[in-house]
Amino acid sequence: MSDWVVISLGNHFRGDDSVGPYVLQRLRPQIEPAVPCIENGGDMVNLLEVWKGQHVCLVDAVATEKAETGAVLCLDGLAEEVLPTLCTTSSHGINLVEALEMARIMDALPRSLRIYGICGNNFAIGEGLSPRVQAAAETVVKEILTLLNTHTGGAPCMSNH
Amino acid sequence: MAKNKTIKVDYLARVEGEGALYVRYDDAGVHEVKLKIFEPPRFFEGFMRGRDFREAPDITARICGICPIAYQMSSVHAMEDALHLKLPPELHALRRLIYCGEWIESHTLHIYMLHAPDFLGYPSAVAMAKDHPAIVQDGLRIKKAGNAIVSLLGGREVHPINVRVGGFYRAPRAVELKPLREELLHARDMAMNTVRWAASLLFPKFEREQSQQYEFVSLSHEDEYPMSRGQIASTRGLSIPASAYDNHFREEHIEYSSALHSTLIERGAYFVGPMARYNINYALLSPLVRQLADEVGFPPFCANPFQSIVVRSLEVLYAFDEAIRIIDGYRKPDAAHVTAEPRAGTGYGATEAPRGLLYHRYQIDDSGKIVDAKIVAPTSQNQKTIEDDLRLMLPKFMHLPEKQLQAQCEQAIRNYDPCISCSTHFLRLKLEQAPRTGV
Repeated sequence: MSDWVVISLGNHFRGDDSVGPYVLQRLRPQIEPAVPCIENGGDMVNLLEVWKGQHVCLVDAVATEKAETGAVLCLDGLAEEVLPTLCTTSSHGINLVEALEMARIMDALPRSLRIYGICGNNFAIGEGLSPRVQAAAETVVKEILTLLNTHTGGAPCMSNH
Repeated sequence: MAKNKTIKVDYLARVEGEGALYVRYDDAGVHEVKLKIFEPPRFFEGFMRGRDFREAPDITARICGICPIAYQMSSVHAMEDALHLKLPPELHALRRLIYCGEWIESHTLHIYMLHAPDFLGYPSAVAMAKDHPAIVQDGLRIKKAGNAIVSLLGGREVHPINVRVGGFYRAPRAVELKPLREELLHARDMAMNTVRWAASLLFPKFEREQSQQYEFVSLSHEDEYPMSRGQIASTRGLSIPASAYDNHFREEHIEYSSALHSTLIERGAYFVGPMARYNINYALLSPLVRQLADEVGFPPFCANPFQSIVVRSLEVLYAFDEAIRIIDGYRKPDAAHVTAEPRAGTGYGATEAPRGLLYHRYQIDDSGKIVDAKIVAPTSQNQKTIEDDLRLMLPKFMHLPEKQLQAQCEQAIRNYDPCISCSTHFLRLKLEQAPRTGV
């Protein structure tokens, strides 16, 4: 599984925005060091370096009115359109969409990119997840573990779209 | 008929900072400039109360994903001041080394990803990369070397975890630094080319008149280009320890923004960041940096904020030079940290974040709990100066087409590399025109 990497986006201290780091924290004891877990605190340029040539699971919070709190949006980041709502974690440098575009130009794309966007509703200053977001996070943890266990990246996405 | 014109940058909610820009002007001049910033660090101050003093570096590091080291450094210096701790030179050198890494990362990101597109006429770094992939590639390589420093000393690249009150959790062995040195040597050559490239850009002509000149403020230390030690000094004679910060600087609440404007008491706006450090401490830069500044014809004092990209490139070169010097003289400290026992007191810390002076003050009780905290980030200190720049700059650029004028406003804000959303290239800008009313 050494060609896999799990990346989280988000801020520990902005409510549901911390769901990415939360998922990473739950996965770490079960998959490291075989699968590196990388927390990205907002510097998306670093993504180019860490995901190039890798199979990647990326977990982020999503702020949207089009889906319920706790819904999990699962998409193929290389084949499907990544919506701007998945890119709210950084005010510096470039965002996720731009990181993908930049990676295309710089020949630094991952081999595969499975994005898990978990819909939150509280992004205020403070710790802790909304209960439905936390429940969704546990689902995503299981999905990623299943995906990693297949070794091929071929496991179906079980989340609700 | 004369028209009121308004440049508006929409409000955007972001993790590291939230901002907006509003400029109202007409042919007669600029009537209103509002840079609105809503800074999360204010909330962190409340967040810190009741926490153990040892938690300060790790919690405050979360304020910013780009400059966590700066928050760690200012917080540990303040705590060590409160606890009367003195660190041996070896630990000071290690802290300086990790700060070099952050300066390289942060400055390079700004130079290549945020500021360069302004000068080369692109709306974003991505658009620029399509035509200039080599430039972006250089930036990524240089930044990677900065990442390597932070990763080695901090335990990981993002939100490093090895810094603690009293020193580090673990100090590296000299042999661990050796491979890093090789990488830095190569990257330093690239950083030299960055200086040459940055100096060759075309800069908007903007320098303030004599009566409106900046008061630059940065740390100043007799032995070293400032990162985490020294007096707080200014180009108008200020020279105070961090403990006197609150006596000389004031934060004011401005009606249109929840952020606080910092001013020098009875003096007004001031300017922190790379240009301030450079202008106050030029003589303390390494010979290589001064030699290169001379080679590209860049003066020891810079008053045009559009040239801050050159100053940043010189500071990146300095950071490489300094990091190599520290590694060459490195001796593993006897202990990775000095023991920090709690005691009641107040401590002050001021260090040089990539964007400028970062001030922390903490009061702790005898059990080590934080009772009060104050954090003043560089961006809040530059807010008023940015507004003044826009107010003074716009009349000189009124002849430009409106779209270009808007771009010029954004570029002027980016001169300061502010830690807010409106410094980035993905803002949506709106220009509104309305007939003048009254008069």
